[in-house]
Amino acid sequence: MSDTPAVSVNHLTKVFKGHLGKGAFRAVHDVSFTVQPGEVYGLIGPNGSGKSTTMKAILGLLNATEGDTRIFGIPSMEVASRRSVGFLPENPYFYKHLTGRETLHFYGKLCGMSGDELKSRAEEMLALTGLEDAATRRVGGYSKGMLQRLGLAQALIHEPRLLVLDEPTAGVDPSGSRIIRDLIIEFRTRGITVLVTSHLLEQMQEVCDRVGIMAHGRMVREGRLNELIAVENQTELVLENASPDLLAKIDALVKAEGGGTRLLRSGHPRTTLERLFIEATNEPKKP
Amino acid sequence: MSQASPSSAAASVAPVRFSPKRVWTLAYATMTQLMRMKILPFLLLFCALVAAMGFGFSTINPEQQLSQFKTMSLGVLQVFSIVFGIVATALLLPKDMEDRTLYTILSKPVPRFDYLLGKLLGVLMLIASGLVIIDAVLSLILWLQQSMLFTSAVSQLHSENQDSPEAVAQIREIVARQGLTWNLHWAVWAIFLKAAVVTTVALLLSCIASSTLFTIVITFCITIIGHGHAMIREFVFQPNLGSTATRIATFLLATICPDLAQFDVVDSVANGEIVPWAAVYEMTGIAALYMTVYLFVTHLVFVEKEL
Repeated sequence: MSDTPAVSVNHLTKVFKGHLGKGAFRAVHDVSFTVQPGEVYGLIGPNGSGKSTTMKAILGLLNATEGDTRIFGIPSMEVASRRSVGFLPENPYFYKHLTGRETLHFYGKLCGMSGDELKSRAEEMLALTGLEDAATRRVGGYSKGMLQRLGLAQALIHEPRLLVLDEPTAGVDPSGSRIIRDLIIEFRTRGITVLVTSHLLEQMQEVCDRVGIMAHGRMVREGRLNELIAVENQTELVLENASPDLLAKIDALVKAEGGGTRLLRSGHPRTTLERLFIEATNEPKKP
Repeated sequence: MSQASPSSAAASVAPVRFSPKRVWTLAYATMTQLMRMKILPFLLLFCALVAAMGFGFSTINPEQQLSQFKTMSLGVLQVFSIVFGIVATALLLPKDMEDRTLYTILSKPVPRFDYLLGKLLGVLMLIASGLVIIDAVLSLILWLQQSMLFTSAVSQLHSENQDSPEAVAQIREIVARQGLTWNLHWAVWAIFLKAAVVTTVALLLSCIASSTLFTIVITFCITIIGHGHAMIREFVFQPNLGSTATRIATFLLATICPDLAQFDVVDSVANGEIVPWAAVYEMTGIAALYMTVYLFVTHLVFVEKEL
């Protein structure tokens, strides 16, 4: 696999100019991170933390005020960088007069696909997202979950190496949400890099290899999920066949005793991503 | 589903070029999107109105009746095409942004110019389709009316025992000049060109403005000013009229607004005057020039637009 990161964000700062007497607004401040090929990277943060702005900058929809963003080494502002990326925006809508299949054909044609290649790819995506039965229905009649899955299908139509998913489970019921989570896991097994934002932290914990937590436009935590959620000042002991008495004398026994009692693992117990998120985002704002 | 292919990395470096096929895909989607905005019933209503007008004028004389019919129907057609062009264009971009369709399109390898051109062509294709249909209806009604008027005029001459070959030939010549000729199609072409220029102005304004209402109102203002372009030019080049500041402001206005009077051939066609080929070429050239300039400026604005 190539050493070039799938996504690299270097000292990204985005300031929106003020209009009609309003001052300028700094949405993102000196944010840096990379997403390696094949990773699932979660970008999380409260509303207004700068996640969407960062994503838009990565996709070339916004110009960076300072710093730069690249997709597989190509600057995001170059249209060519979008050959490798598929994007699912939050709560997507599509042209209501088109059917699901026509929608996929439309996006495929925009990517330069045509003929049998496009047709078979569209059918493959409809099957993957479970929309085969709804393929001939107009998108105007789709439920939110179906729109979200169609959004995933259109994002994947041109076989991108990177998927950018903005709140892919927003407004979707638990079963629809689980389907999307399973799809993300499936993408990882197929070597597709995924950059995802979500408020469903339990799900993020299940699917992400690495996470970045943003607050007030800054990256406040970033790294491998397992390392981030490890509690440094505590030690976890996992015992097998331990009696209640043994538990009371555990320190001494572990040091002195062998026999049937074994120390299986020693390390740091994990907190949850949710707890880490709340802790990180409630820290006082830096000047 | 296939595996992600690392080998595609090399291909990613090649720049994405302008693609007529991609533009057509966007134009076709735009046209079908607008068709869903209940434009067809409106078109049918217009055809019925034209048909009613064709037979509704009182018979003064054949020449005046045909002339009135052309003036009214072409005038309504002009208003229809301009209103449609402005409103449809003003709605398209904000709607795509609101629905986030714009994000899904521009996050694909789609240059922003291709998107703009596709949207513009979609609106123009629908205006052109509507005008072709109405032109056909108009031609049919005019042909029927000219046949009926000729028959009735000849019958009247016959009843008055004045149907000499010269008198009949004169009636035939009058009716033929005011009836169905290529001039009618040139008038419809001129209406299309004017609507196309106004639509391009609306596209430019919708890229600058954040409000649909603002785009519609300002484009209508520019359309009105564009019809009085000759007066503005006259004011600018008269040294004894107005202050320097007023004349500079007027000059800027004249530079920004298109001269829409260049496309006004409806009155000439209604009066039975011949529209020469040279005039058709000139109108087409002027429209192409205006559209190129406005589209270029629109591209410069849109390429820097923060989405």
